[in-house]
Amino acid sequence: MTAVHTDSAGQAETELDADAAQAAIEYCYTRGWSDGLPLVPATRPLVEKFLATTARSPEEVIGRLPQLDRSVTVELAAINAAMAGCLPQYFPVVLATWDALMRERSTTGGGWQSTSGPAPLIIVNGPVRTELGINAAGGVFGPGFRPNATIPRAIGLMVRNAYGIHPHELEQATQGLPGRWSICLAENEEESPWPPLATEAGLPPGTSAATATLLRTCEFVDNRHTGNAEQLLADFADTIGRSGAWIFRHASAGIVFCPEHAQLLAGAGFDRAAIRAFLADSSGRSTAALAGVGKDACDDNGVRGPGHATDDTFQRMLPGSEAEHLIIAVAGARNAGISMVVRLFGGWSGTAVPVTGP
Amino acid sequence: MPNAILDPTGRAGAAKSPGPGLTLAARRPQLSGLRVGLMDNTKHNAALLLAELGKLLAAEHGATVTVEATKANFAAPAPADLMERYREACDVVITGVGDCGSCSASAVADGIGFEQAGLPAAVICSDAFVVTADAMAELRGAPGYHYVRTAHPVAVLTTDQVRERAKELLPEVVAAITEHGAP
Repeated sequence: MTAVHTDSAGQAETELDADAAQAAIEYCYTRGWSDGLPLVPATRPLVEKFLATTARSPEEVIGRLPQLDRSVTVELAAINAAMAGCLPQYFPVVLATWDALMRERSTTGGGWQSTSGPAPLIIVNGPVRTELGINAAGGVFGPGFRPNATIPRAIGLMVRNAYGIHPHELEQATQGLPGRWSICLAENEEESPWPPLATEAGLPPGTSAATATLLRTCEFVDNRHTGNAEQLLADFADTIGRSGAWIFRHASAGIVFCPEHAQLLAGAGFDRAAIRAFLADSSGRSTAALAGVGKDACDDNGVRGPGHATDDTFQRMLPGSEAEHLIIAVAGARNAGISMVVRLFGGWSGTAVPVTGP
Repeated sequence: MPNAILDPTGRAGAAKSPGPGLTLAARRPQLSGLRVGLMDNTKHNAALLLAELGKLLAAEHGATVTVEATKANFAAPAPADLMERYREACDVVITGVGDCGSCSASAVADGIGFEQAGLPAAVICSDAFVVTADAMAELRGAPGYHYVRTAHPVAVLTTDQVRERAKELLPEVVAAITEHGAP
């Protein structure tokens, strides 16, 4: 049986061979290339369309893990992006995202193999958001939008296939985390009271750019019944400072503010720097509270464990008030006071990578 | 003629492991008078466990610990200058503890690196990470490379429990680096 397809212009009909497509998809499974979901079988003509979106050479090595003797080239990135279900025009964002991740120490070391099973957080700024239709509004953590779903999946397939890091083998995630390889959002610049994240990170206003770091998890802060900025920030401080997420001397975090929270804070005079200063001071736990969970002391390597605390000083969780320790973006719908605290695997580079074309 | 499906790994046609199996360093006839290197990887209790093993090798086998150093980045194989310190001043090396996703694999890579430098190595790895340790051994061209397995977890043990663990592991450590195993 064949299916009837109407192309996007609605002007032509093509007979498609769904049975052949299914066989090709199953072939990809048997080769061990899939993350569990069906792959788009990549062919030379399709991959050429991806490569045509960038000026970079297909042979350029964009990532290397010497300990595994594996590397990623632009061409392998294109093959994996095609398999992930990206459209060719997404490819410059995939490349910028990969480059942004390469600025993190953990991604060139052991991060992809970690027991924590970290997930990339990808934030896109600039005109490319609307050109590609990357969701910045309701349901921004997914699902439902092709670029939001397939760009992070492409990163995951590059790690799996080009680096050869497979679960239960070189990938040793104890549990992993929900949303691994699926967290990509556009910043809601239109409803944000602050400059775009990429602008804060040093790029000229209006630049299309990707910002990325690795996360341990995301957790919501639902607070829609106070109009007091300090109360609202105190609620974030409590979530950021919880002990379960705290294993070293300090830990970094981030917040993806919904527009309502961002606008409330901006209305009270808080910009990103003021929010970070407030939260760097107020996110943490008392030594006594940390002693109660066996995390009050640090060993010579900065790893927390049980100590012999007798004082009740306040220990701050964030290493400081710099942007690297608390990434702040705005995304989501303007319909409720629900924001997301994100837990950084290490730190954030504090930089964004421009999305460049051919 | 349909278009071929492209391979996303970059390894089409590559052998599963690089080259033929590596030759490991010759095991020592016995440990008396030999110089022992200890390389801990910063994982909790690793330095203590290795130090305890070093003391036992001195007291019970007549060896001398000559290098006791820390590999700062547990996730990656040891840098060349650190490996060189052991090569110059040691006859055998004990390293570990592999007890996380990347550090267990890189501990095995270090062990194989020592072997290639002519030093028999005893790599200590948590038994929760044998799959990734074995995968690294295969990647490094030494499939089936023998390392010393210890019960997971190591990081929660008290000082006394670590000492006890060192005593339990001693025969296996000796066996890993000598021709005939423990006397």
